[in-house]
Amino acid sequence: MKEKLLHTPDGVRDIYGREYEDKLCIQDRLHHELKLYGYQDIQSPTFEYFEIFSNKIGTIPSKELYKFFDKEGNTLVLRPDITPSIARATAKYFMDEKKPLRFCYMGNTFINAGELQGRLKETTQIGAELIGDASVEADAEIISLVAASMKTAGLRDFQISIGNVEFFKGLCSEYGIDDEAEMMLRDYISNKNYFGTMDILDSLNLPAEAKDAILKISELFGSVETIRLAKKLVSNERSIHAIERLEQLYELLHVYEAEQYVTFDLGMLSKYHYYTGMIFRAYTYGSGDAVIKGGRYDALLNEFGRNSAAVGFAVTVDQLLSALSRQSIMIERQKPQELLIYPQTYSKTAIRYAEGLRKSGISIELLPVTEDLSAKDYLEQAKNNHIHIAIVIRDEHHAVCHDLCNGQTEEINI
Amino acid sequence: MRYITFALGKGRLAEKALEMLESIGITCEEMKDKNSRKLIFVNEELKLKFFLAKAPDVPTYVEYGAADIGIVGKDTILEENRKNYEVLDLGFGKCRMCVCGPASAKELLQHHEMIRVATKYPGIAKDYFYNKKHQTVDIIKLNGSIELAPIVGLSEVIVDIVETGSTLRENGLEVLEEICPLSARMIVNQVSMKMEAERINQIIKDLREKL
Repeated sequence: MKEKLLHTPDGVRDIYGREYEDKLCIQDRLHHELKLYGYQDIQSPTFEYFEIFSNKIGTIPSKELYKFFDKEGNTLVLRPDITPSIARATAKYFMDEKKPLRFCYMGNTFINAGELQGRLKETTQIGAELIGDASVEADAEIISLVAASMKTAGLRDFQISIGNVEFFKGLCSEYGIDDEAEMMLRDYISNKNYFGTMDILDSLNLPAEAKDAILKISELFGSVETIRLAKKLVSNERSIHAIERLEQLYELLHVYEAEQYVTFDLGMLSKYHYYTGMIFRAYTYGSGDAVIKGGRYDALLNEFGRNSAAVGFAVTVDQLLSALSRQSIMIERQKPQELLIYPQTYSKTAIRYAEGLRKSGISIELLPVTEDLSAKDYLEQAKNNHIHIAIVIRDEHHAVCHDLCNGQTEEINI
Repeated sequence: MRYITFALGKGRLAEKALEMLESIGITCEEMKDKNSRKLIFVNEELKLKFFLAKAPDVPTYVEYGAADIGIVGKDTILEENRKNYEVLDLGFGKCRMCVCGPASAKELLQHHEMIRVATKYPGIAKDYFYNKKHQTVDIIKLNGSIELAPIVGLSEVIVDIVETGSTLRENGLEVLEEICPLSARMIVNQVSMKMEAERINQIIKDLREKL
């Protein structure tokens, strides 16, 4: 036995059978949803130059990237996410495009996280980017797409939490908080660490109302009321504008009938500077992490020499599937497969019959009766594999159709 | 209503934590039975579950959502460095993370010298020496009785928790530098914080009033 050859490395795995069918089905549904909004498919390479995912642009620490070298000694990276690639491709091929661009993509991403974490290192992402549209309408379309994606996957109980980094930035510039303190505050606030935030604020020598407003940020999450409350806390234009933008977004989401899935969290601050406005995550039960992440990053394309607004999101399909399975949500497949079982002597009849059915769009698997496997054995197996219909050939003109759901049989002519 | 699950770090911390939860009306009678061999304790009325875990595992349970809320020392949170919300300083279990050693070792911390550091907390030690002191050091991971290391010459200094300092003094060691203060903290899973915002916020609010 070559048992050593059978292992896969830590963090990657085979996906097959029912599970893979489910995954493909979900991917299809998500893709279909994106196409309904007019997003164009785009495929980018699985690996690119290191600079595309370096810490200035990427969201994954450099030590967690899979790196290797080409023959000339350039450092290459297996993509940890796809957004930077789309930004690069857009800057390269659509320099002069004036109208907004809509792209959607699907592919596997690779993150070399630590060992023994119970985390996959290769995951599938589906995402969309809306480039060249800085309006609140673009924000609303993206959020409604997130809601539609969650719904089309079969989730009922989920939440899309939306923040706006501009609110925090406005406070920082109003009170002249320096970069170093800002970074620390970002860390503590996004961690909802009330006491840590308080410690830093105490050391900063700020007026009482500034302390109060910043301290409140980590508590400002919940319904639309929270952002209305937040508006009363601040007086600088930038922060007020950030709230107004969220209010407009909320208005528009009513039109999409997506507002009931939305909550706000002004303490959601990303460490990554290229997020310039709205930032969001979609949560559901049964997955310890967000299923969908995204936001507005008008500064990202700048890194590639094109000045353009952009907003987008990515679904981690594997995360979504594990949430579905933990919530025991069955994924209905559209066309269940059928079986055609035949004795060897009637192979030609069976092939002819199966081909006829396939032409009418029925997917059917041919199974010959052998010494080891009788028709009865096949029927037994089929039942366990959730197959509905199995047809057993009798002779050149007759067959028996077994409905495995209700146990009924029927003689048919073929 | 769904259950909200608490993971508590085993030992004195858990006892203190339960006392504190009891003061805001969250009780678990099942847990008071010392002879029970149950692993999970339930309060059906309030729809709460509790379990005890080894302290370093608490942030892991919470990160993956296996527990919604965890109560554990700041030392463990820093060392494990997991993605959780750290929402409350519970104020008990106060102590300090320190660099300790014989008085003669103080000199070694002044000049970026390459020294050996024994510790149970390699993550914290590395962060402190590399990112705060900018001193390259050799870190030796030990699992207990860290104070032994400088005495028998395994390392020049140690990084460890100091409560009263009496063990150090009895063995001719002292605190050379303080890294950070420690105490028990409440951590919350990022998804739970949103999906169960109302109930969890109430717990945080009630606890904060008791502090």
